[in-house]
Amino acid sequence: MTESAMAVVKPEMKSYIWLQTADGSIQQVEEEVAMFCPMICREILQTGMGSSKNYAISLPQRVNPAILGLILDYCRFHQVPGRSNKERKTFDEKFIRMDTKKLCELTSAADSLQLKPLVDLTSRALARIIEGKTPEEIRETFHLPDDLTEEEKLEPLRNITDDPRIRLLNRLYARKRKELREREKLKNVEIEERVDDRSVDDLLSFINGGDGDSKAVKTNKNKKKNRRRKDQQKDSSSTNENGNHDKIGELDALPCCQNNEFNKILAASPSRTVKSQDSAAAMYSSKIDFDDADIYDDLDPAMKEELDREVEDFARRLNSDWPERVQEILSLGQERKLVTVLTGNGSSPRFTKQVLIGGSCCLPIRVRR
Amino acid sequence: MGEVLGLDHLSDLPQSIIECILTRLPIRDAIRTSILSRRWRYKWTTLTQLVFDDDCVAMSNDGIYEDLIYFITHVLFLHEGPIHKFHLSATYLQNTPDLDQWMLFLSRKGIRELIIELGDGEWFRVHSCLFNCSKLTLLELYRCELDPPPTFKGFLCLKSLKLHQVLIAPEDIESLISNCPLLESLALSYFDSLVLNICAPNLKYLYLEGEFRDICLQNTPLLVAISVALYMNDETEPFGDISDCNYEKFLGGVPYLEKLTGHVYFTKYLSIGNSARTLPVSYIYLRSIELHQVSFEDMNEILVVLRLITSSPNLEELQISGSSNPVAASEAPDLDFWENECPSNCTFGKLRVVKATDMSGVPHEMEFIKYLLRNCPVLETMSIRPCVYVTDRRLNMLIELLKFRRASPEAEILFIQE
Repeated sequence: MTESAMAVVKPEMKSYIWLQTADGSIQQVEEEVAMFCPMICREILQTGMGSSKNYAISLPQRVNPAILGLILDYCRFHQVPGRSNKERKTFDEKFIRMDTKKLCELTSAADSLQLKPLVDLTSRALARIIEGKTPEEIRETFHLPDDLTEEEKLEPLRNITDDPRIRLLNRLYARKRKELREREKLKNVEIEERVDDRSVDDLLSFINGGDGDSKAVKTNKNKKKNRRRKDQQKDSSSTNENGNHDKIGELDALPCCQNNEFNKILAASPSRTVKSQDSAAAMYSSKIDFDDADIYDDLDPAMKEELDREVEDFARRLNSDWPERVQEILSLGQERKLVTVLTGNGSSPRFTKQVLIGGSCCLPIRVRR
Repeated sequence: MGEVLGLDHLSDLPQSIIECILTRLPIRDAIRTSILSRRWRYKWTTLTQLVFDDDCVAMSNDGIYEDLIYFITHVLFLHEGPIHKFHLSATYLQNTPDLDQWMLFLSRKGIRELIIELGDGEWFRVHSCLFNCSKLTLLELYRCELDPPPTFKGFLCLKSLKLHQVLIAPEDIESLISNCPLLESLALSYFDSLVLNICAPNLKYLYLEGEFRDICLQNTPLLVAISVALYMNDETEPFGDISDCNYEKFLGGVPYLEKLTGHVYFTKYLSIGNSARTLPVSYIYLRSIELHQVSFEDMNEILVVLRLITSSPNLEELQISGSSNPVAASEAPDLDFWENECPSNCTFGKLRVVKATDMSGVPHEMEFIKYLLRNCPVLETMSIRPCVYVTDRRLNMLIELLKFRRASPEAEILFIQE
C-alpha cells in the first residue's frame, strides 16, 4: 500500500496494527483490516504483538510489500459487513485481473496468511488460465521449463487404451523416439550440418555403427547381431544425456528401421512383419512397390518425390501434439482415414531426411501385402 | 533475477495449493500437466478428488464407452495415495465388471465421498466392498441394487445419503439409515410402495419421492427441512392404515422444522386419520411452507393446511397450489365451517408472502384466501395465479377478492394471468 493511500484511509481514533514484511519494511494497517487475516489475528490475540512499531508482527517470507498491499486491498473490501454477494463477486473478478506471476505470488502469500477465501479465489483463477490450454501454451504462460525429453512427453500415451488406432499411434511414436535418439547422436558428433549432404548409405552405415536400442526386435535367430548390439547399447547409454536409459530400453521398439540389413531381419521374423502390416497399410495410401530396401539410390525421381512427400507427412504427424491427436483419432470413429486427418504442423527439412531413414521400414512391408 | 526466462512461480507454489488448482481443473487437463515439465510429472497423481464424466474422453459414435473405462482404470492405476472423493457420472457408461474393480480399489483408498451415476440401461449391483468403506461421509448412488451383507454395521461417518432409483429391501434401507448415526441429509427417490420408518437422530434434511405408502418419522428430532412427493398407485390401497393419524406419524416429532415442501399427494396423505384439531406440536422455527396440489373440495385437506399454518407462529412464506375439481368443489355444503369452526382468533403475525397458484376460484379456495387476508397483519404480497383451465370464473374471482378485508394495510394483491 502506498503512503498516500494510507493517508486517505486514516481517520482519527482508529486502532492500528504494525506489520513487518520479510524485507524489514514496517507498515501500519487498520486493525479490522489486518484482523481479517487469520494468521495476523492469531498473532494479535495470542502474542499481543502488533501494537507498536517496535512490536510489529513479522509476516511470513512469502508476503512481500507489494503483495501485502494487494492482500490488504482484498481484506479492506471484504471485512466490511453487509456487502451483497454480487458486490463481492464483482470486486473479486476485478481483483484477480493481474499477470500470472503476481497471481502465483498472491496465492502463495494468501496461503501463508491462511486467508482461505483468497486462496480459493486465486486458485480458481489459475485453474481457469490453465484449463483448455495446450502444454506449450501453459509452459509459455507460466515460464515453465521445457525440461522433459520428447520421449517422456510421449510416454503417457502408451497403452492408455487398447484401441488399434492408439496402437498404431504408439508405433508411430516409437519410430519418432528412434528418430530423436538418432538425431541426438548425430548432434553429439557434430555432423548435424552435413547430414543432408551425405548419401543415405553413408548415413545408414554411420547409424549402424552407433545404433543403440534394438532390444525388442531381436530374435533368437539373430544371436550374433544380438551380442553385437548389446555392446553398442552400453555405448549409447554412456552417450545418452537424458539419464533416461532405462526407459529407452523398455520402449516398445519397432522393427529395426535404420538397419541396412533390414530385409534379412524381416525375413528372419515374419511374424513381426505381419504384425506391423495393418498399421503400415493404414498409414500409407501410396501404391509404391519396392523389391528391396536398398533401392533408395536408384529411385526414379517421381517416386522419390512421392516418397519424400509421404515421409514429410509422416514427420508432420509425429510432430503434432499428442492429446489432440488422440482426440482426433478417437473422434474419427470407425473411419480410418488417418492420412487425411493426421496433419499437424510442418517439420524442418532436416528432420524429414531423418524420418526417411526411420520410415523406410514401412516401405518393404508394403511389398508383402 | 530470472529476468529473461522468468521464474517458475507456478511450480514453486506449495503442493497443497497446486492440488487446489488441479482439483479445479477437469481431470483431463489435470492429468495433462504431467507433460508440462519435470516438476509437474507426478503432481496430479496425488490428487485426492477424482471427478469423471462424459467429457473425460472425446465424443465419438463408438468406443466412448471403452475409452471411458480405460481412462478411469488407468488414472486409478497411476494414482498414488488416498482418494477422498470419487465422482463418476457418465451417461455413456453402463454396468461393467470394471466398476467392481474400481470399487475394490477405492475401498482401500480411504474413500470419503462416493458418487456413482451411470447411464440408463441395466442397473448395476454395487460390489459388497462398498460396505467396508468405513470413512464414507457422502454416498450417492443412481440406478443400482444394494444388498448390505448381514455383517454390515453401518457407516459410522456417513452424513449424506442419496439413493435414486436404488433397489434395496425395505428392512435393509431402514437399518441402513438407522445404522448411520451421524446422518444429516437423506434423499430417497423413486422408491415404490414402501413402508418406511426413519430413525435418524441427527437428520436435518429429508427428501422423499416415490410411491411411499406409509412413512413414519420415528426418531428425527433435528429435522429442519422436509421435501416430499408422494405418488399414488391406483391399484394399491391409498396411504396406509386409516386408523393411524398420518399427520402425527409424519410431523409429530419435528419441532425444529424450518421448511416444509409437499408435492402431489402429500396433503392428502397427511389428511388421512387426521382428526385432532388441537395443536399438539408447535413449529416455532417453521418459516416456509409449500404445498402443491391441494384439493379444496376435501375438507380434510383444508384442515391439514389450517392445522399446519396455525401451528407455525413464525411462518413467513406460504405457497399453495390447488388441484380442485371445479365441478365437485363448487358445491360446498360445509361452507359455514369458515364462519363457525375456523380458529378465527388466530393471527399470522410474521406471514409476509402468500403465493396461491392454480386457483380455480371455487368457494373454499376463496374462503381460504379471505381468511388469510383477514388474519395476516404484516402481509406484503398475496399473489394469485388462476388455473389455466379456468377462464370463465376469473372476473368473479376478482370481484370477490376486492371485497375481502385486509388486516395488513401494506398488502399488495397480485392477480397474475399469463
